[in-house]
Amino acid sequence: MNPQLLVNGLVNAALIAPPAIAFSLLFGVLRFPNFAIGGYITVGAFVAYAANVELGAPLWIAALIAMAATALLVWLSDEIVFKPMRGQPPVTLLVVSIALTLILEQVVRPIYGADVRGFAIPLQRPFKFWGIRITEEQIEIIALTILIAALTHALLQYTRIGKAMRATADNAMLAEVRGIDTGRVIMFTWAFCGALFGLTGVLAGLDLVIEPLLGWNLTIPIFAAAILGGIGSPYGAMAGALMVGMAEELTVLVLPSSYKVGVGFAIIAVLLLVRPRGLFGQPEIKK
Amino acid sequence: MAQALLQVEEVYAGYGRGDIIHGVSLAARVGEIATIIGPNGAGKSTAIKAIAGLVRPRQGSIRIGGEEIGGLAASEVARRGVGFVPQEANVFRQLTVRENLEMGAWIDREHFEERLERVHRLFPVLHERARARAGNLSGGQRQMVAFGMALMVEPRVLLLDEPSAGLSPALVAQMFETIQAVNEGGIAVLMVEQNATQALKISQRGYVMAAGRVAMEGAARALLDSAEVSELYLGGRR
Ligand SMILES: Nc1ncnc2c1ncn2[C@@H]1O[C@H](COP(=O)(O)OP(=O)(O)OP(=O)(O)O)[C@@H](O)[C@H]1O
Ligand SMILES: [Mg+2]
Repeated sequence: MNPQLLVNGLVNAALIAPPAIAFSLLFGVLRFPNFAIGGYITVGAFVAYAANVELGAPLWIAALIAMAATALLVWLSDEIVFKPMRGQPPVTLLVVSIALTLILEQVVRPIYGADVRGFAIPLQRPFKFWGIRITEEQIEIIALTILIAALTHALLQYTRIGKAMRATADNAMLAEVRGIDTGRVIMFTWAFCGALFGLTGVLAGLDLVIEPLLGWNLTIPIFAAAILGGIGSPYGAMAGALMVGMAEELTVLVLPSSYKVGVGFAIIAVLLLVRPRGLFGQPEIKK
Repeated sequence: MAQALLQVEEVYAGYGRGDIIHGVSLAARVGEIATIIGPNGAGKSTAIKAIAGLVRPRQGSIRIGGEEIGGLAASEVARRGVGFVPQEANVFRQLTVRENLEMGAWIDREHFEERLERVHRLFPVLHERARARAGNLSGGQRQMVAFGMALMVEPRVLLLDEPSAGLSPALVAQMFETIQAVNEGGIAVLMVEQNATQALKISQRGYVMAAGRVAMEGAARALLDSAEVSELYLGGRR
């Protein structure tokens, strides 16, 4: 087998993993699949583009600005859109989130048009090891994603707010009873996940091109990774991202590369078939 | 008579449309155990959830130590010294036993180690299974986790919704002994129980709820001796 495909798959997985973790965390505390992630990611990419290309900030500063901006945007989207709708059925919220992603995309489009853009970074020759090509950006993407996964793990396992996030996702009523202000936990979760979506916009912009559909194109693989890993489980999302990322690249062995986008859909369809209680069915409660 | 520590007066509450409880008054005094009994669907859990801040009272007053807590969020009620062990979904299933107990101490971590020791003394199995996920425990062990969590702070009032549910007869006796021990340590207890006879035996006051109202109340001893209560709720003569 061509080892180049494995490297490509790894980079692909590294792009999907942070937003899949964020998608899962959000689902954990809010109990609905938030498809506005596409819009958040796109906005993140364009904020970084504006800071980097138009204002001339170094890319890492532009990335931090983008993360802060999306954290704010995502938090605002809760305050304005989702908070007033708490308690609505998940399907209603899902539809609202799709509408939100379309709106965010339409905000970006008139400003930047449909042109493809890239960050102001010098073009570099990819490294070559044993015939495998990998760019410096791709190595950075993989390293950053490993860092994000480790930090998220540490956050959830060892910090007070992280434990509160897990407790709230597990049983929000009981978390309140124990004195946890779940409203603040939810706010923190939105902002944390928002920053991850912003970062994803930057990383995707590095590896792909920056365009209004950037986030939307990543949405299905992210969603597939999150449900493959057992939705609401951030660790599962990491594993799911690896599987989806690899699967997407490896299909080119058997199918033309234009079928790559169908892989996420196929995974979702198969999961729907093998889990007839639905993607979000909670595991049976053991008595 | 001195005012009770927890004083519930004429509370009406329900879930959205319509009330489930209609003008319920209850009290828990310092040093006392009070027990609510009554048939399924009587509104016992609803009443206790209204005190805990999970159901918003539409009318009436709930005071602890004279301070009105009716309508406060559950997390605020907890911070005012009300510990609550719900009837259902009363542990964090994905968290370990140890993490559950940490969550119990959320609002007061100062005495964490000594309280953890106390809980381990009361329920040694929680020490042995500290790293197990609460969702993987037996029903009885989960009940101990739920109770243990409430003991990780020093509540003024402990609300227990069917603490003996799902326990084997031996464990039921142990649970009631534990409740008594906790009470003797100075915590007022208001509990709902299906094991009515045993619960009333360790209680000073008793309430019988039916159809969303307090149908009868009095000294626990008097309820135990009452032919009517015995007939309806205690399974005949004892
Ligand atoms: N979350 C809820 N939403 C709507 N109605 C509810 C809810 N919880 C309980 N009820 C209704 O309120 C009424 C009283 O329920 P409650 O749980 O207070 O009774 P209970 O006395 O605790 O009964 P049990 O002995 O079975 O625990 C019941 O008719 C029940 O169907
Ligand atoms: Mg009940």
